[in-house]
Amino acid sequence: MTADALLGTALLMGLLVLAGGSYAGLYALGRVRSRPAMVWVGQLCWLVAFGCAVLLAVATPLDFGWKLLLLVSAIVYVVIPPITWRYLERLHIDES
Amino acid sequence: MYRSQKLAIRYCIAAMTFFGVMVLFGVLSALYYIYPTMLFETFHFSTSKILHIDTLIIWLLMGFLGAIYWYLPKELGREIVGIRLAEITFWVFVVSVLIVAGVFIFVQYGQANEFSMWFINQGRKYVEAPRWAAIGITAVLLVFSYNVIATAVKAEKITGIVWVLMIDLVPLVGVYLDAFDNNTNMSVDLYWWWWLVHMWVESTWEVLIGVIMAWVLMDIMGTSRRIVESWLYIEVMLVLGAGILGLGHHYFWIGTPQYWLSIGGFFSALEPLPLLGMVVHAVYDAGMHRMRTHNRPAYIWITTEAFLNFIGAGVWGFMMTLPQINLFSHGTQWTVSHGHFAFYGAYVCGMISVFYVVKQRTSGVNFLDGQRWKWAYGLLNLGMVGMVMALLLSGMAQAFYERAIGGSTLMAFTAAAENPWFLSGMYARIGFGAIFAAGYLMLAYDLLVKPEKVQMPAVQNIQPEAAE
Repeated sequence: MTADALLGTALLMGLLVLAGGSYAGLYALGRVRSRPAMVWVGQLCWLVAFGCAVLLAVATPLDFGWKLLLLVSAIVYVVIPPITWRYLERLHIDES
Repeated sequence: MYRSQKLAIRYCIAAMTFFGVMVLFGVLSALYYIYPTMLFETFHFSTSKILHIDTLIIWLLMGFLGAIYWYLPKELGREIVGIRLAEITFWVFVVSVLIVAGVFIFVQYGQANEFSMWFINQGRKYVEAPRWAAIGITAVLLVFSYNVIATAVKAEKITGIVWVLMIDLVPLVGVYLDAFDNNTNMSVDLYWWWWLVHMWVESTWEVLIGVIMAWVLMDIMGTSRRIVESWLYIEVMLVLGAGILGLGHHYFWIGTPQYWLSIGGFFSALEPLPLLGMVVHAVYDAGMHRMRTHNRPAYIWITTEAFLNFIGAGVWGFMMTLPQINLFSHGTQWTVSHGHFAFYGAYVCGMISVFYVVKQRTSGVNFLDGQRWKWAYGLLNLGMVGMVMALLLSGMAQAFYERAIGGSTLMAFTAAAENPWFLSGMYARIGFGAIFAAGYLMLAYDLLVKPEKVQMPAVQNIQPEAAE
């Protein structure tokens, strides 16, 4: 790995998770406040996360296995907020 | 108030005091990077760093014990069994730490022999405390375990939270015994040492703080037991599922077999997934409660914990977790940046929320809010975020110039230490460290003095426990 590729790859990996977290936060905030636009912006953040994973797969010297893992992770990110949300709602409805 | 809760207050005061010692030696250690000859042959950088990182472990451990002694009698509806013993071990703990700190400051180091290991410094990072003190800590943890288990048995009531706590006591005591290892093979030594650092601090403590946060959530937000217990079980499952083998990312480059690169990288890459769920949960809870709480600082700090844990452990950790990146970043200020952020997010924010819970109960107010805690909150967070950004800059400069370009030679190390990017990060770290120290002082002041008089908003509908 070259020195330039090192920093680029690391920053892309950080951005991947940060964008994933922004998606989770905005998705939940949009649902809490019933603002679909916020959920939509959150989904855009997921697209950024997925874009980072694609860039990591095509433009970095990471090994094939890691590239595959990052792509699969980014795809899994998309379902985590809705599933967590549904679980939380069910838990709180049962409680009330 | 139970005697156990009075003991908890003492633990919280001790924890807060050692938090201050940690900050003091953190600022001093940072200065050495700018003035390498500072206090030459008077007070070594290594000793300053030992005091910084060891007091980190000690104050958090004291805070955990304090929080559990605070909530356990309430949870089980009775006084702690063996409270007298617990009170004695508190003083043993505090006096031992003071003696060890005194030895570190005034003696500093000794010859490489048995005497030094027993009475000066064991020489292993994070567990430098001499062997007699390590035995003392083991005794404290054993008494604490006895207090928890005997009280639960006597109360004939074991809740889900107490079950998790009791099971966690096994690794809390068991894994700490690794502090006594004395292997002369560096690879074998580091292999087991990481059990102590990762398994004890990152896994066992994660469960411990999960238990404490479950109680705090029920206390300050009125969250139901069923909900907090459900999440606690999920957390335990995740610790067992991904956290344990996530240990592998520490096994890079210490002489362990190559398969650890794959195991460590794979399980570390999974770690952000549950953190995403945690962000959703934090927003959900904050939204559903619409900020209704009787303890605003505790509530804000516990919510902050979820987000900073995600960024510190998730984003910062993920940047350098794959072996191909870690080859260059390992052991640079980049790692230091991740360590600061992850510890702060995972534990410090949670402990500060406990301090405010204790403050509210001891000061007898029904609603805790004001301006002072906001200053402390702002300064501490600004200081920490600034520090970790500065350390990241320096760490990336090291990885880039020293490792990737310079090939990790001694000459490259020296050149990188004088690199303007590295140095500017070090200067910025001191500035933000000073801001963090100011935040600590404001926090200590706010916790010590009487609460500010504020009107409880009309929407507050969560009733606090009766103040005494």
